[in-house]
Amino acid sequence: MPEPTYSTPGARFVDPTVLARIGNLNLLARTVVDGFINGLHKAPYLGVSVDFAEHREYMPGDDIRFIDWRVFARTDRFYVKKFEADTNANFSVLFDISRSMSFASKGISKLDYGRYLAACLTYFATKQRDRVGLVTFDDDIVTRVPPSAKHLNVVLHTLDRINAGRPGSFEKPLFKSIEFFKRRGILLVISDFYEEPKALIDALKPLSYIGNDLMVFHILDPAEINFPYEEAISFQDLETGVKMPVIPEKLREQYRQLVKAHIATLSKLCAEHRIDYALFNTAQPIDHGLFKFLAMREKMNRIR
Amino acid sequence: MGFLAPLFLFGLGGIAVPIIIHMIQRERREILEFPSLMFMRKISFHSFRRQRIRHWFLLFLRCLALLLLIIAFARPFFWSSILATGITGAREVVILLDRSYSMGYSDRWNIAKNAATVILNDLAAEDRATVILFDNEAESGLSSTTNRANLTSLIAGSELSDAGTRYGPALKLAERILESSNLPRLEAVLISDFQRIGIDSTTEVNFPEGTILTPITVGSGDEDIINVSVAGVFFDRRYFSGRERVQVSARLTNRSIVPVTDLDVTLEMDGRSVETLTIDSISNGSITVEFSSVTLGSVPMNGTVRIESDALLTDDVFYFVVSPGQIVNVLIVSSGRGSDDSNLFFTRALGIGSEPAFDVRMVTIDEFSASDLDDRQVVVLNDTRPPSGQFGRVLAEFVETGGGLLVVTGERSVWPTDSPDLLPGQFGSPINRLNRGGSLGFVDYSHPVFELFSAPRSGDVTTTRFFRYRPVTPFPSATVLARFDDGSAALTERRVGDGIVLLWASTVDSFWNDLPKKPVYLPFVHKLIEYLADYTPPSPWFSVGQVIDFSSPEVRLGTGGVSTSEYVVMSPSGTRNPIDIGERTEFIDLREQGFYEIHDVDAVNDQPLMVAVNVDFAESNLTMVDPEELASMITGRAGGERNVDTGQTRLISAENLESQQSIWWYFLIGAFLLFIAETVVSNRLSRTVLNAD
Repeated sequence: MPEPTYSTPGARFVDPTVLARIGNLNLLARTVVDGFINGLHKAPYLGVSVDFAEHREYMPGDDIRFIDWRVFARTDRFYVKKFEADTNANFSVLFDISRSMSFASKGISKLDYGRYLAACLTYFATKQRDRVGLVTFDDDIVTRVPPSAKHLNVVLHTLDRINAGRPGSFEKPLFKSIEFFKRRGILLVISDFYEEPKALIDALKPLSYIGNDLMVFHILDPAEINFPYEEAISFQDLETGVKMPVIPEKLREQYRQLVKAHIATLSKLCAEHRIDYALFNTAQPIDHGLFKFLAMREKMNRIR
Repeated sequence: MGFLAPLFLFGLGGIAVPIIIHMIQRERREILEFPSLMFMRKISFHSFRRQRIRHWFLLFLRCLALLLLIIAFARPFFWSSILATGITGAREVVILLDRSYSMGYSDRWNIAKNAATVILNDLAAEDRATVILFDNEAESGLSSTTNRANLTSLIAGSELSDAGTRYGPALKLAERILESSNLPRLEAVLISDFQRIGIDSTTEVNFPEGTILTPITVGSGDEDIINVSVAGVFFDRRYFSGRERVQVSARLTNRSIVPVTDLDVTLEMDGRSVETLTIDSISNGSITVEFSSVTLGSVPMNGTVRIESDALLTDDVFYFVVSPGQIVNVLIVSSGRGSDDSNLFFTRALGIGSEPAFDVRMVTIDEFSASDLDDRQVVVLNDTRPPSGQFGRVLAEFVETGGGLLVVTGERSVWPTDSPDLLPGQFGSPINRLNRGGSLGFVDYSHPVFELFSAPRSGDVTTTRFFRYRPVTPFPSATVLARFDDGSAALTERRVGDGIVLLWASTVDSFWNDLPKKPVYLPFVHKLIEYLADYTPPSPWFSVGQVIDFSSPEVRLGTGGVSTSEYVVMSPSGTRNPIDIGERTEFIDLREQGFYEIHDVDAVNDQPLMVAVNVDFAESNLTMVDPEELASMITGRAGGERNVDTGQTRLISAENLESQQSIWWYFLIGAFLLFIAETVVSNRLSRTVLNAD
């Protein structure tokens, strides 16, 4: 398997395998987050905030407290000042801990990688004074930490203890989790998404319809992307236990194309439903992926 | 289906080798856990599945080809009777009907006769049939005839014999009849109670190929056969107040596990019931019954031991003749000086013994006269010179007319030149072997004198030490029966006229050897004298099937034996047979159980000689043999096809069937075709795979 290549030179980006040696998720998250991304995140909602967003012509019914009198003085018209929403948003991670997440061809497993990502973003959200929560699921909800400003340690502790053991699904646990997120917030779904894209979107859509800002992190092992196996071997599905004799060289290309198509379809469908999609390769540094993703969100927010 | 060379089938194990290797390799393959096979299932993995199937298909083809090849080499054939013989036409049927006395058990004989009659009635007009009646011998009344009436009457008129069962002679006779037949279908029907004792493994019978043997078992349903038989009689002779008394003991046998209780056993002597004893119980074994002693007279007595009748009557009675004890008269001639010592061991040894008893008379050589030889059968010259002159001639005449002479050498032994020419060899001066002594180096154990010692642990004459003996130079007409370890003759025999002369080169006392102190001394001395007296113990009974040869001098019937030339023999059933010595009918075949009476034509008023004849008690053992085993004996090898439904056994050799059918060709061709197909298929499939890749 090829060694992970860092697109950005320098030691800023931390190798996941190095991070894996850090037992404390709090310290880990701080190591990653404090390094570079303070202040990149903006709350996606307009509201009472110090950050100005835009002016809008006064409409009857608007709170007269938000009339910009300085603009009225200059233009003799009533304009209302709109601000970015308050940072006291709910940030919840929906973490897929199905058995397939335990796969690791080399280095750390997808579960660990997802765990670090979740820890980093939770820490980051706390830094932003957001309320943080966690939901882990396989084919049902496994654990739930309700969003709270004081729940960083609970979330990190829960993340620390999770184990991937059972087969997973999306429809049932995601449907059940809708009721946890009645208040709008930021939802991050971390999974390897072994499901048909259409069915996945059908399961994710209800989460975004209630006004949540939905992000999905698609975590894959490099072996799942590149399929580097050479010898004829029996593959066993981690979740179903089904065995299949496979001659890798005969189907490698087809497999790669299918994975690529799967990712492309998932990405496209997510874009269509205003869901932020990011693919993470467990061989790549965590902060590298995070940086790319957050930069992209920043850009998107500006457009928005 | 059978195989002519079944050892080739071990090659089938070779087929398993590629399969086993294949399976081992599969087992060794690692299993890789992968998050999901979702994408692999989507891929048209038909390509590699097909490769696997193709692999198995080729493996199957190759295995099948190998299998056919191996089967072809094993030379297969079918036992199917349709394939074996499709012969139709007239039949040659041989019916073998067992008439041994065991067939008299219960109602077996009538069942057997009915079965034979039914078979005869079923024959077609053109079929030919033979009826063989057999016990331990076989006879066929009418050979290969179409005359049903004669055969039916032959069966109806046949009766049980008193003889035992032997299948060999009957099957041999059937084999001859079948071999000489020119009819297309050969059949033999064996009607018997299939006793195991009737099998004689030395008889090899080979029926012509294609013969159908049908065994018909009579009495197979008699699971609880109860049969007690009188298996034998023993005598214990004692002398009491000058009279000879004999105690008769009878051995009874019950071969079934069902016990027989309160069984009466009766001893009859000369037709009168003497004593009846009651046995409490007897099961699966033998017991001996001892009757009270009976005083014997001067003439033989006829005795019978009888038990209560059971399902098989023939073996419930045992006949015997008790003769008065036999006496061999011996004259010992010694030198006179110290002769008591030299005769001590010898006379003591002869004093012991009742069958025969020895009547010893001793004289010195100086006292010897012609009258001493009257009524004597054996003369012993113990360490002395021979009688000279007239007495010498008397002695020579005694020997020539059938008397026995034993010459024992010792210190005083001489044989002057004018003595009668009786010695088997010339003896010289004594040889001293004083250190360790000599021993017997060669003994003719086939000779009646030494025959007793031939069996293991029955006495060793070679352990005797001889410290002195006279070297003997045997004459050409003499036979050396034993030699010392230096090659010198120890015991030499010569026949003079009708008599026998034995020369013993050492003494019969303990002066020159330690023989008298050995356990073999007594039997050795007895056998010496019995041989010289030409003694044959009288037979208290004979068995059915034995033959009495009147022309042979060995025949002894009772005390008197046979002396004249014309007799009339009356069988137990009352048939009279004249016997004329010197003519062709010099023997009598004992075929009936009971007492044969032999009347001397010249002495009509004398008591007739009685001969007791008993059945063969081995026949009482009704244990059956599996007809399959008998069939394999008849073929001489296992190879008969047995049809269980009809109980038929078809006899046709495997080689013949195989060569007729030649199935191996088809298997061989099939194997080659498969190999060709395998080559074509594998080439085509590899091309397909290459193109696909």
